[in-house]
Amino acid sequence: MTDYTLIGKRMPRVDSRAKVMGKARYTADLKLPGMLVGKILRSPHAHAKIVNIDTSRARALPGVKAVVTGADTEGVKWGVFAYTRDQQFIQTEKVRYIGDEVAGVAAVDEETALAALDLIEVEYEVLPAVFDPMTAMTTDAEPIHAEFPNNINIHVNIDTGSVDENFANAYYIREDTFTAPEESYFHGEPYAVAARFDYDDCLEIWMPNGGPHMKSKPLSNAFKIPLHKVKVKKITIGGAFGGRSEICPADYICALLAKKTGSPVKIVFTREENTIATRQGHAMITTHKTGVDKEGRVLARETTCYMDGGAYSSTGPIATSVPFLSMEQAYRMGSVRYNGYRIYTNKPIRGMIRVHGRGFACGLDTQLDMIAEHLGIDPVEMRLRNSRQPGEFTSTGSRVCSCAMDETIKKASAAAGWSEKFGKLPPFHGIGIGTNSVQTGFPMGIRGGSQSFIKFNEDGEATVMSGVVDNGQGNENMLVQIAAEELGLLPEDIHLVSADTETTSSDPGSYSQVSTFVGGHAVKNAAARCRKKLFDVAAKILKTDSDKLTAKNRMIYVTDDPEKSVSIKKTVRVALLNFTSVNAEGGYWPRVDMKREWVSNPYGQMCEAFSFGTTVIEVKVDPDTGQVTVLNAVACQDVGKALNPLVLEGQFEGSVAMGGQGGMLTEYHDWREGRCLNPTMLEYKVPLVCDMPEITDIIVESVYPENPMGPYGAKEAGMSIAMSAAQAYAGAVSNAIGVYMDSFPLTPDKIVAAIREKGQA
Amino acid sequence: MQIMHTTDITLTINEQTHTLAVKPNDTLLEVVRDYLDLTGSKEGCGEGVCGSCTVLLDGHPVRACLTLALEADGSDVTTVEGLADGDTLSVLQQSFIDHGAVQCGFCTPGMLMSARALLNDNPSPDREAVRKSLSGNICRCTGYAKIVDAVEHAARPESGCPDCHNGETGGDHD
Amino acid sequence: MRLPQFTYHSPDTLEGVLALLDEHRDQAGVLAGGTDLLVRMKHRLAAPKVLVSLKHLDTLSYIKETSGMVSIGAKTPIIDVIQSDRVRQQAPALVEACERIGAVSIQHYRGTIGGNILQDNRCIHYNQSQFHRSGRQPCHKDGGKICYARDEADRCNSTCQSDGATALMALDAHLVLNSIRGERRVALDAFYSTDGIHPFDMQPDELLTRIDVPVVPEAVSAYARLSYRSAIDYPIVCAGVRLVPDPDDAGCIGSARIVVGAMGRSPLFLSKVSQSLTGIRFDNSTAFEQAGKDAMNAAAAFAAHNAGAALTYRQAMVEKMVGRVLSKAAAQVSIRKER
Repeated sequence: MTDYTLIGKRMPRVDSRAKVMGKARYTADLKLPGMLVGKILRSPHAHAKIVNIDTSRARALPGVKAVVTGADTEGVKWGVFAYTRDQQFIQTEKVRYIGDEVAGVAAVDEETALAALDLIEVEYEVLPAVFDPMTAMTTDAEPIHAEFPNNINIHVNIDTGSVDENFANAYYIREDTFTAPEESYFHGEPYAVAARFDYDDCLEIWMPNGGPHMKSKPLSNAFKIPLHKVKVKKITIGGAFGGRSEICPADYICALLAKKTGSPVKIVFTREENTIATRQGHAMITTHKTGVDKEGRVLARETTCYMDGGAYSSTGPIATSVPFLSMEQAYRMGSVRYNGYRIYTNKPIRGMIRVHGRGFACGLDTQLDMIAEHLGIDPVEMRLRNSRQPGEFTSTGSRVCSCAMDETIKKASAAAGWSEKFGKLPPFHGIGIGTNSVQTGFPMGIRGGSQSFIKFNEDGEATVMSGVVDNGQGNENMLVQIAAEELGLLPEDIHLVSADTETTSSDPGSYSQVSTFVGGHAVKNAAARCRKKLFDVAAKILKTDSDKLTAKNRMIYVTDDPEKSVSIKKTVRVALLNFTSVNAEGGYWPRVDMKREWVSNPYGQMCEAFSFGTTVIEVKVDPDTGQVTVLNAVACQDVGKALNPLVLEGQFEGSVAMGGQGGMLTEYHDWREGRCLNPTMLEYKVPLVCDMPEITDIIVESVYPENPMGPYGAKEAGMSIAMSAAQAYAGAVSNAIGVYMDSFPLTPDKIVAAIREKGQA
Repeated sequence: MQIMHTTDITLTINEQTHTLAVKPNDTLLEVVRDYLDLTGSKEGCGEGVCGSCTVLLDGHPVRACLTLALEADGSDVTTVEGLADGDTLSVLQQSFIDHGAVQCGFCTPGMLMSARALLNDNPSPDREAVRKSLSGNICRCTGYAKIVDAVEHAARPESGCPDCHNGETGGDHD
Repeated sequence: MRLPQFTYHSPDTLEGVLALLDEHRDQAGVLAGGTDLLVRMKHRLAAPKVLVSLKHLDTLSYIKETSGMVSIGAKTPIIDVIQSDRVRQQAPALVEACERIGAVSIQHYRGTIGGNILQDNRCIHYNQSQFHRSGRQPCHKDGGKICYARDEADRCNSTCQSDGATALMALDAHLVLNSIRGERRVALDAFYSTDGIHPFDMQPDELLTRIDVPVVPEAVSAYARLSYRSAIDYPIVCAGVRLVPDPDDAGCIGSARIVVGAMGRSPLFLSKVSQSLTGIRFDNSTAFEQAGKDAMNAAAAFAAHNAGAALTYRQAMVEKMVGRVLSKAAAQVSIRKER
């Protein structure tokens, strides 16, 4: 085992100090000289033609500096993918959901901006709207997007092995349908954008984002300015969870207002806007048909999923695929047919979310429990018989290298006391298990790789430049920790310049938890190159060979003779005096199948590493009220290599709260004709501290011997537990009440109804 | 648009007294953030639910987004910026850092203020009391576990906890 | 979120407050803690032109006991009620209710007991932002002619979700209201208008100044409420009860007051169900279960689908909450016996 100085240590995060002092600046905290307040006028109708917009009274209001509508744009439709271009940044012809952007204003203060919105007169011709995918597919009403008949936005079809033949040979087959409504991210920080054009006509723009380089390109296209003139700036971000990835109309509107007024403009969303006018999670109706042999091994599976995509595509192809991909990674399913349909409805836009398809995943695991019960197999054993093994291929053809799925299953269930408890608990007590796997990245074309630059200052300290963005999960710390380790410096010697498209190189963004794997790896490679250059200089000073040196604690020393040493500071200064650069760059591009595409070719190497995790939950249900008390929670994940256990535990615990406690017990959106009834934190129930159980975190490592993939072997750690926690909560409640639940979340009314039905049966 | 008259109020914020001309519909949150550039207190919802705007008003935890600035006239207000002594963090703040209680950080100021109020009243609370005092502060990132650890161990460091530095590093005052 | 514009007054005396209420009447809003009023103002559900602040009226914040009554000033902060030994002794249901109000850092220091009683009725369709409401017809409470909680309803079905009022009604509390015209005392039972739009039988120039809770020797009381989360939420359903032992047989209930809250336009005092418990022994759990069922049958019809939880569930939970609260109260009798 390599002995690292910082890697693997419980290191407090470098960004925490500014946050506990209240000094960290989020977008809404920015103040720029002459800054105006921006507000967006949104459609109050779910589906309507825009007949006319009259902004004259708004423009005439004293204090209003600009009003923009679709007429001020080129009306071009944008999309994450070339084949999903369906969204204008400000609608010109029609609005498709309650919240759709119709106009923007910039004024001297908030009251004036709000008053101006009220003065914009929009004439709508209301159109029939659809609010659920099944109706949307069969309606006679005008399609939401003319180019997408029957409102079918995306269809992912995956067909592997010989599904029908294997069903014919199956010992036991089950088909079950599971439903879950949409859920939301409820980031701590409501969305905000600040923008200005500087003296050089460069656009400077700040917003919470899941990848600044993902934002800069569409802005470059929209404003017809080269990328080097689009500066998406570094800013502290209050959470993303998958919902702040792609460009947002507000980004464009804010920049447009800044352009028109010649002043900085800031738009701050209300909590309601953050809920309905950014992204949400998809509602899903998932049918799993699974055939097993006598020992419970899955021979064939057929899954059909209808997803409520909302009014625009967003990252539709990804969101339609990931729920399936997570399960095909976690479990062996050589013969599987998947049809995922993303359907447009006149509701807020759905996108990627940390709990990718709670109904899908919980349904699959619940069905495994049902099959297990039928066959007389323990659910843990059922998982072990179907679990992913290292060296295998997923059904869509990704090779899985490091994989400690079984270890997580065994450790989690042992820590939770599974064998003493399952089937032996008092009435209305239950225990459940969930396992999941998350891909660390996916093919992202020219944006799939990350590059880092490191420069040394003459005082021997370093500046690290990386495109990686931190949404709150600790990516900044990860980069500093890696750089310091490789360079032999202390964390406080590293200054990080990150997530800034002016100065940092392209990076995939924090999608699919790829920041450590790709971004961290790039920094590691850059730092290793710096170290090599430093060693070349130090070797001359110490009169030895550079391969005989070690760097640690600001010193470079001969590995076998530590007394012979020189400080890094001195080495840098010697280098500078000799016109030698010790600065370096490094990059990392994951070896993936670049031809793999979500819809047109969903086969091939998806990414280089997959995380695997298991959550076991024990609950007690109050049969009178249906309320659930969680007695014990064990979260166990194979993270490859634990770079920082303190940070990992925080990710596990947050995941249990979001995916399990909230995602399975209380979080869902309620609608009335496309109008969200619970857009605020009062009526949408995100868990509170007293709702949470105590959580046991177990970190498992699995570095694939020949070729540790991620930096030091690290894989993703922010999402797998969120999903397996949801699955475990569902399993535990089902176990407690003796009814397999198929409609999520498991709110008390559903639990009471299920208990009553069972009692009557 | 009627021009609103302003009223002069006196606010002592983090032990500094200010005289400010405020409008009747200015909230305390707007005043500290916009007039005084103390942006540590956050607006997470504007309706008093999330707790990101929690400040101490005459020592009590309140929602700054639901407190009119005029209501706070003559009062003592403590915001997150007032917890440290210059560059020296309080034990509570250092405990948050050491225990990994800060992820995105947006809820952190509110959490610190609720915790500060608790510790002012009850210097050695048990875990249950800590949880209760934070019941009105919403966090989406941490699952709360390390926040509770941080507050509990700020008061009473625990020998079994790998993250309690027992005052060895950083903050040395309350 | 920006508040609408208004003028602000903070008189030094009660007389000053009453004079302003008399002058501005419907245009005035009373500002105590603001945790209800200011939220509604941000949503533009309320837009009083004048706010009359009780900031300087510390004379309305007190808890004292005089001649068979615990008197609580209307401006008493929730935290004071929770921490009052006197109230805990004489009216435990009220302490239990106050502990469950919202959350410590929202209501307990700024929120007042008077403000909790006078919190406006709620409905998930009504308590929404101006934007949310802009795309549809206004409901009854919003100045329109539709009810979104109950189809075809010709009147407002908003709900009283006050924990404090539910407990206080069970405790047979009386309110004291002042105006420049004088003072009047009204039983909390009789304080509600049954109109969801203006839930209180209160004139626009009146100020709630005091709550009187009768001290009944040997009485026990309890409060229970259901919500999805452990704090912040309004109750989905709640219940308060006061049980007075028979003076001739301490093991028997002499009189009961069962109140169900968060179901109707006001807390519902269920007089028939309450009467059915006269003569019942404190340890008769079967009778309590039956009372729960009867309470559910009596209260269910009042509820509309306006609280974000399934309606049938809320109705069914009336039975459980009433059963629980009866058991809780009865348990205090046993504890007292043991002392």
